[in-house]
Amino acid sequence: MSDDNKIKIFLVDDDVVYLKMLEIEFLNQGDFIVETFSSGKLCLENLRNQPDVIILDYLLDGIDKNAWNGIDTLDKIKAVNPGVPVIILSQQDKIEVAVDCMHHKALDYVVKSETAFVRLQKIIKDIMEFQKMKNKLGWYMERM
Amino acid sequence: MQYARSMVAASLDPLIAISSEGKIIEYNQAFANMTGVSLDALKGTEFLNYFNKSKNARGFLKAINAREEVIDVALNLKDQANKTIKVLINSSALKDENDTIIGAIIVAKDITEQNKISAELTEAIVFAEMATAVAEEAKIKADEARRIAEAAVKSKQQFLSNMSHEIRTPMNAIVGFTKVLLKTDLSPKQKEYLAAIKTSGDALIVLINDILDLSKVDAGKMVFEEIPFKISNSVSAMLHLFELKAQEKNLSLEKEYDQRIPEVLLGDPIRLHQIILNLVGNAVKFTSKGFIGIRIQMLEEDHEKVLIEFTVRDTGIGISEEKIPYIFENFQQATSDTSRIFGGTGLGLAIVKQLVEAQGGKVKVESKQDQGSTFQFSLHFKKTRQEALPETIIPKSDTTIKNAKILVVEDIPLNQLLMRTILDDFGFECDIAVNGKIAVEKVQSKAYDIILMDLQMPEMNGFEASIYIRKKLNMQIPIIALTADVTTADLSKCKAAGMNDYISKPLDEKVLKNKIMFYLAKSAMKKQNAPIKKGEKKYINLQYLIQRTKSDPLLMTEMISLYLGQTKSLIKDMKESFQNKKWKELKAIAHKMIPSFSIVGMGIEYELLAKNLLEHAGKQDKKVEIENSVKELEKVLNYACQELEIEMNLLNKMK
Repeated sequence: MSDDNKIKIFLVDDDVVYLKMLEIEFLNQGDFIVETFSSGKLCLENLRNQPDVIILDYLLDGIDKNAWNGIDTLDKIKAVNPGVPVIILSQQDKIEVAVDCMHHKALDYVVKSETAFVRLQKIIKDIMEFQKMKNKLGWYMERM
Repeated sequence: MQYARSMVAASLDPLIAISSEGKIIEYNQAFANMTGVSLDALKGTEFLNYFNKSKNARGFLKAINAREEVIDVALNLKDQANKTIKVLINSSALKDENDTIIGAIIVAKDITEQNKISAELTEAIVFAEMATAVAEEAKIKADEARRIAEAAVKSKQQFLSNMSHEIRTPMNAIVGFTKVLLKTDLSPKQKEYLAAIKTSGDALIVLINDILDLSKVDAGKMVFEEIPFKISNSVSAMLHLFELKAQEKNLSLEKEYDQRIPEVLLGDPIRLHQIILNLVGNAVKFTSKGFIGIRIQMLEEDHEKVLIEFTVRDTGIGISEEKIPYIFENFQQATSDTSRIFGGTGLGLAIVKQLVEAQGGKVKVESKQDQGSTFQFSLHFKKTRQEALPETIIPKSDTTIKNAKILVVEDIPLNQLLMRTILDDFGFECDIAVNGKIAVEKVQSKAYDIILMDLQMPEMNGFEASIYIRKKLNMQIPIIALTADVTTADLSKCKAAGMNDYISKPLDEKVLKNKIMFYLAKSAMKKQNAPIKKGEKKYINLQYLIQRTKSDPLLMTEMISLYLGQTKSLIKDMKESFQNKKWKELKAIAHKMIPSFSIVGMGIEYELLAKNLLEHAGKQDKKVEIENSVKELEKVLNYACQELEIEMNLLNKMK
């Protein structure tokens, strides 16, 4: 698979160990290009690299109180590029958090657990499928 | 002058005086006798006329005139009848007052007799030499005959040994696959048939091994080792083998062990096993009711060795008195019916005798028909201060070890398939190398956890490959020899080649698994041994990481160093925020810690500590709990970091 066909993902997490682990998982799959950022700010600064999907940690300001939290970052991303799908990762399996994320236009909400990676993969696949369909539909609509 | 003349006359050897011209002036009766010329007629005659080859004689005359003495010149004198008489001439010069040579005094000694004796002697010597030659020839012939005979015996042994070897390889495959097959879904009938195949196969292998052992003893190739071992463990382990059989036959198995025997002794445990195994095996086989008694007693002890007597007693069929002398011979059983009724090859006792005698012991037997037999042997064992070698089999099978990569080095396709089947079954990853050379290449291109090494292979055999891996490649990866031929000589050869252990064929799956587990656990322990004391708990488990990174050392070190950096600062932050009672921060730290526990394989109990902290931080009533959690977390995370640093060092060396 050439790099053009690969899906570019941004991973954002202040937990560098988890971040690396996730990167390895995605790279193992072979059909992803991965860029990792340890803060929301860094992610936003690189948004011009046009990620296909962003995976964003919910609690980015746990240790560094001055850092943007996940929701702040999400808002800023959506302000710049409303179309990019963002999936929120969180350790907390709480309905309030999940709903909060949806309100801020997150595409999905995944709890950090053993199955997190599998879920992420599945969601990304669906997104890509969905986008392909959307593009096709757009193309036909134009023809009509 | 008259005096001199009388002396001349008295001599029994011919004495002659001649003038310088060679005329005879004086002579005696002996000379007249020798020449056969009458006394009177001799006077004034030419001395030279009495010699056969006057040329030689003239030379002699010249010599007399020139020099003063002539010693031991052999000349041929001729008598009146022209018969030659060999004489030895000695002479000294006859001088006048002015010291001028005027003639010579000559002694002519008849040496005919002497020559005859000497000729006889020479002849005798020639005869003697001829006799020696004949004897030597005979000896050469005898030597040749002996050599041929020896070669015949040797080739017989070699043939037996080769045959057995050749039979053993396919036999091992048959038994091995039968075992594999027995584990599949089978109908009861099929199971029964397969069990029969296995029993027969096992019996054949025992026979083949016996033959091989005997041929080794005969060829003087049997080497006995002196290694420290625990004799009581050895004996118990062996008796354990017979417990089931004894139970089936309703026999009691009684052991009597002399507690004074030193715990660890130097000896050859494998051979001792074999001896006792044969004796106890016979006892169980030939006894249908009563008991089997095994007594181990110390007879003598001095400062360097002990003499231990082993007695195996049964209440079985016994041996009739006239048969006793024959029972230790090859292929002999007490009665020809024996093998029909009880089976067996009749090699067991022969082996026992050979093994005991080769170690300087003696086997005694007492038996009464229908009442039972007692076999007894005693062996010397040296004392030692060394510790016994660790038991190679660790019975506990550790289920935490998975994903082991095993390299099987084996040239026979059937055995390759068998190994692969068994290892797949265990859940191990396995690669095959068809000879030592390929194995050496493979270990350089991929990291294996264990090598299972056959010994006899084309191109490069197991010994050579092991030496290469240890010496040239400097790799410490555990190597287990796979051998059909478990003798101590082979084992010491394995050890010398740097192999760690052996497994005998036919493979016992349990033994194989245990040994693999043992070495996997051992190398895992070695990796994190340095600052952490032996036997101490291990906090991390890299299985998850290894799996995720597919053992890529680069990715692993990246992960570990990230973890170390982050965790160390988290530990510091955790301590600080706890001391300053910044509960919110403490919660955030705990929160951040949580995912990493599973990544480095730390147990759920540690993750719970962090979760506990997250839940309770700031709560007034949980102060003690919080403090405990912080302290405990600090401790275990520090340990984990230590362990990971060691792992990382190892990984760096691998890169």
